[in-house]
Amino acid sequence: MALTEAEVRGIAEYARIALSDEELLEMTAYMNDAVGILEPILQYMDEDVSPTFHPIGELSNVMRADEPDDARALSIDDALKDAASVRERSFRVPSILGEGGDR
Amino acid sequence: MAGIDSLSAAQIAAGVAAGSFSAREVARAALDAVGRRDGSVGAFLQVSADLAFEAADRLDAMRAAGEELPPLAGVPLAIKDNMNLVGTRTTCASRMLADYESVYTATCVQRMLDAGCLPIGKANMDEFAFGSSTESSAFLPTNNPWDVARVPGGSSGGSAAAVAAGEVTLALGSDTGGSIRQPAALCGVVGMKPTYGAVSRYGVVAFGSSLDQVGPFGRSVEDVALAMNALVAGGRDPRDGTSQDCHADFLEHLDDPIEGKRVGIIPAFMEAAGLEPEVKAAVESATRALEAQGARLVEVDLPHLDAAIAAYYVIGPAEAFSNLARFDGVRYGYQEADCANLSDQSSRSRANGFGAEAKRRQMLGAYLLSSGVYDKYYYAAQKARTLITRDYEAAFKAVDAILMPASPRTAFKHGEISDPTQMYLSDLYTISLNIAGNGGVSVPVGLGADSGLPVAAQLVGPAFRDRELLVFARALERAFGTAVVAPAFAGEGGELA
Repeated sequence: MALTEAEVRGIAEYARIALSDEELLEMTAYMNDAVGILEPILQYMDEDVSPTFHPIGELSNVMRADEPDDARALSIDDALKDAASVRERSFRVPSILGEGGDR
Repeated sequence: MAGIDSLSAAQIAAGVAAGSFSAREVARAALDAVGRRDGSVGAFLQVSADLAFEAADRLDAMRAAGEELPPLAGVPLAIKDNMNLVGTRTTCASRMLADYESVYTATCVQRMLDAGCLPIGKANMDEFAFGSSTESSAFLPTNNPWDVARVPGGSSGGSAAAVAAGEVTLALGSDTGGSIRQPAALCGVVGMKPTYGAVSRYGVVAFGSSLDQVGPFGRSVEDVALAMNALVAGGRDPRDGTSQDCHADFLEHLDDPIEGKRVGIIPAFMEAAGLEPEVKAAVESATRALEAQGARLVEVDLPHLDAAIAAYYVIGPAEAFSNLARFDGVRYGYQEADCANLSDQSSRSRANGFGAEAKRRQMLGAYLLSSGVYDKYYYAAQKARTLITRDYEAAFKAVDAILMPASPRTAFKHGEISDPTQMYLSDLYTISLNIAGNGGVSVPVGLGADSGLPVAAQLVGPAFRDRELLVFARALERAFGTAVVAPAFAGEGGELA
């Protein structure tokens, strides 16, 4: 079933990618083409095999003690170096809720 | 004195060690070649002359002090611009990261520098490695040195073109669906994707975390073997949880004969729609060349490889969407000004920071991971992955390597493929290896009978048998000769004074 523009608009909101009306048209056409080339995969859904999520089996998360590692940690200056907006050694963001407010 | 592009990595390192020329002279020659050639090629996004000279001066000081020089002393290196190197920007060829200054250095880059390479610059690529032509770079197109009206392939197109044009001796690329092997094929150089886990990805901007692998480009199999030695030196990298200890000497058995070895061929692959006749003919001639050296040809069947492209375009975009969610304009990257709230800032920064293909892939990934869709596509793709991996495992019980095309066609013209889903078929022969994780190498096998452009064969090996894989690549090189610098650029600048 083809994806509608409204559905693609919803995906764009979820993906946090603002689309103009013209981009929405192009993206909807693309999404339907792309999903079309994925159709052959659906026949594998009922295969009686375990999924492989990773080429290397038996990987586990790398854990360590919850202690600062000065050799690996970025300095605050380095961490802020690439931020577009900084205030008092912090990342500066607009209001998290609602419209406007203290930046 | 010779031009820099006429020397192999081993010859440059030996020349520096013997004092025939200094590392600084090599740096100057390489930068001269870049200056004279890159206006036509467009391989580089940044040239890091200061870093190259600093590295060269350290090597020259070591020699003056009587110290032993590292194995790639003075070898000019291009680095794909998704790899961090302190002192350079790491842009991923995206407006999103146009001003991003690296705050640490990727392990793969550091290991090449530790081996003595001179960092000449950061190479152009498809934006965030999404593409097969380097046309999605936000900054400039890269031209194929064999015909500048054509693309170099991608996504590591700048790395491949820099080596093919003789601007550098070695380059690093990354390969998520064919991004080393396909541009190597289109530019007529050797390009290797090692087995997943063989080379650390720490400090490489992630695209598809279960697919990405770093590997080298060179004009000879020996140069690629030397680069592999550097990349696996030091063994496992604790900073990459997928890194494995693959320490090996890739030179040690490089010239071993292949007599009696079993080479797999897949007849169905040679009849695939979209395979150009001149590529098919070249791969058949590669098959005969291995047979003439005593290899035994064995037909193998990989029945589930038909699912590889669909599986890849589920897994790749899903992982890309997850990885690229970090680019929200707050901690780094492009930030849209004057937004009402954080959500608006994120959506508008991502809309204006990412190019069209980066947005398409993330949108597809977001859809595939959404509720109700995820179960249908993602699990099916990972089940297909199990079957594809089993196909390769079964095949490698019967053969030592498999020979197939690397790219279904030679280099195409800029703008020739405008439909993104058609572009995805460029990776027809490379994608299944990223899904299974095995290593593969693209080796030039001459020029196409129709186009006169480079054609390549791809050799595929069992997982973590990358050293043995290069023995087959060397056998092809014995038959077809070492890759040459593209004729229009050979010898242009780059004289070693």
